[in-house]
Amino acid sequence: MSAGAAVTPVQAARAAARRDRWRAPTLYLRVAVVAAWALLPALGPSFQLLDLAAKIALFATLAASYDVVIGYTGIVSFGHAMFFGFGAYAVAVAVGRLGAPTYGHLLLGFFAGVAVSAVVAVVVGAFSLRVKALFFAMITLAFAEFALILAVQWGALTGGEDGLSPKLPGVFAAGAEGVLGLSGRLVTYYVLLAMCLALFLLMSRFVHSPLGRTLQAIRDNELRAEALGYRTFVFQLVASSFGSVVATVLGGGYVLWVRYVNPESALGVPIMLDVLLMVIIGGIGTLYGGFVGAAILLTARTLLPNLRGLGGSLVAGSEILQRLSERWLLYFGILFVLVVFFFPRGVLGTLREAAARRRGPATPRT
Amino acid sequence: MRRAAPLLVGAALLLLLPLGAIEPRAWLTLTVAGLAMGMLIFLVASGLTLIFGLMDVLNFAHGALFSWGAYAGFTLAVALDARRGWAAAPSVGLNALLLLLAVAAAVAVSFVLGVLLERVIVRPVYGQHLFQILITLGATIVLEEVIRVAWGPNDQVMPVPATFQGSWDVADVVVLRFPAIAIGLGVLVYGAVQWLLTRTRVGLIVRAGVENREMVQVMGHDIHRYFTAVFAAGSGLAGLGGLMWGMFGQSIRPSMGGEQLIFALIVVIIGGLGSVTGSLVGALLVGLAYNYVAFLVPKAAIGVTMGIMVLVLLVRPTGLYGAGK
Repeated sequence: MSAGAAVTPVQAARAAARRDRWRAPTLYLRVAVVAAWALLPALGPSFQLLDLAAKIALFATLAASYDVVIGYTGIVSFGHAMFFGFGAYAVAVAVGRLGAPTYGHLLLGFFAGVAVSAVVAVVVGAFSLRVKALFFAMITLAFAEFALILAVQWGALTGGEDGLSPKLPGVFAAGAEGVLGLSGRLVTYYVLLAMCLALFLLMSRFVHSPLGRTLQAIRDNELRAEALGYRTFVFQLVASSFGSVVATVLGGGYVLWVRYVNPESALGVPIMLDVLLMVIIGGIGTLYGGFVGAAILLTARTLLPNLRGLGGSLVAGSEILQRLSERWLLYFGILFVLVVFFFPRGVLGTLREAAARRRGPATPRT
Repeated sequence: MRRAAPLLVGAALLLLLPLGAIEPRAWLTLTVAGLAMGMLIFLVASGLTLIFGLMDVLNFAHGALFSWGAYAGFTLAVALDARRGWAAAPSVGLNALLLLLAVAAAVAVSFVLGVLLERVIVRPVYGQHLFQILITLGATIVLEEVIRVAWGPNDQVMPVPATFQGSWDVADVVVLRFPAIAIGLGVLVYGAVQWLLTRTRVGLIVRAGVENREMVQVMGHDIHRYFTAVFAAGSGLAGLGGLMWGMFGQSIRPSMGGEQLIFALIVVIIGGLGSVTGSLVGALLVGLAYNYVAFLVPKAAIGVTMGIMVLVLLVRPTGLYGAGK
């Protein structure tokens, strides 16, 4: 680039973004969130709180990986929980079924999970994305159902309905000594946190790369992107496979933390709905929305049983009211529909829109 | 009919191949069961494919409407049976009347729900696939949970009229009664839908709408009214399918719709989006293959439907009868 003679719009936008990099208030917010999560154990919280923090970090990253597929690429997948489950099962099987657990087994589990996921994601995508992105929704749903049935039926490998609770190696084992004065649990917490952070940064890099921009162009106008010479099929395939592989790694991380896996908790429809809800509540196509959604949803989930007990004692007389107070999924469903209706851009999307309005119309940021 | 030739050969192969591995009696029973299952899946899939074909809406709430139909018919059947004993009565007329009334209740309830769904939640999101999927998914959750609240979360036993239980002996062959009725009903519905679509003015406009929506609007037809009608009719078919499925299995549960939706989606993908004939062929294919394989290798039964889908997509990415929209 010679003396600013020919600066393309994209280069100008990038230069502006680089200049503003250290001035953006959201940067400090992001750093503060990471610091809060990293320093939380120093406060000596109860296990319940630590568990909540770890799960928020994990599911925020999982929701973000789903956002890469649904928000940035614009294809609806119902198989995301399936890839999460692949990772969880791969790690659990490698550690629990191949003799005494070692770190090597753990690594093998992660690699096997990623390999299986990558192959399945490419195959599913190759079948469905050739025709129409809508096919993807249907085919991934069918595959996810198939995976669930397989996990239940193939008891010799997966432990069937009961699932697996493998003994983990070294510092990850229950009641392990740990290192540097930290208990094994805390080491696991920090490993999980580092994993989530690394994956999050990777995804952020992914969606802001030229590849990510092409994906957004395809999402917004597929015909035009095609006319500009992009092979939309390949781009969509890469993006959906990338999101799936990230979900797989997180599935492995989930097993590290909870130390068990069963079809219901790792592969089932509820996980899929949770992740979908997190993305929608947080804001679709924002990446960070997943964090907001996960924080809101999981905190509510942790507090809800107390409320439910209260509700149960209030309406003890009527059977219908009793049932109404038990069906939390009903309220999730209603909340979901209302959010899709009135805040289709979610919490973050709505906030960003408001911020953009305040800044005035003359600052088109890319 | 040169186009039908490969289809006939395929059908003959599919029907006769298992004869090598299964003895003829069992084969006949399985075939009847498979055809019945296929016809019931067809009821659900045809509504789904029409809604998608005409309105470009992927309706995930279809499974919930299936459950609602089953529960509506169930409630009426139980009430009639408890008050007057129509299901257990040895009278063919009363039994048939009970079935008809239950069918009417199932269709009416799911039809009304279909109108409501289309008007309230689907209409604002026309043309936005992502939000259609999300919002109909949300509706599914709500509808299914309301069933759990109103009827309880457990399985219920569906009363089946005495006339339609058991089997007829036709020339020394056992023909189960209810599957036979289901097959008859499926043929009837396919005939009615085809007649409506190809021989009436309404069908002409609907088919034109599938081809080119704007043009139909320009010609002065209120396409939204047709949208509502097709959506509600498809919903009614789903409800009918739900009731018949419940009687077929003699039990109903709130999650039955979701399970059936997977089958219906696979069938719609196999048959091609927007094609009623494709749905019929796909449904029969899945129903027959499922029953044969479930008999021979029980654990592979679910896999075979997936296998068929993958195979069809490999050869024809748009499905057997898909127009490649």
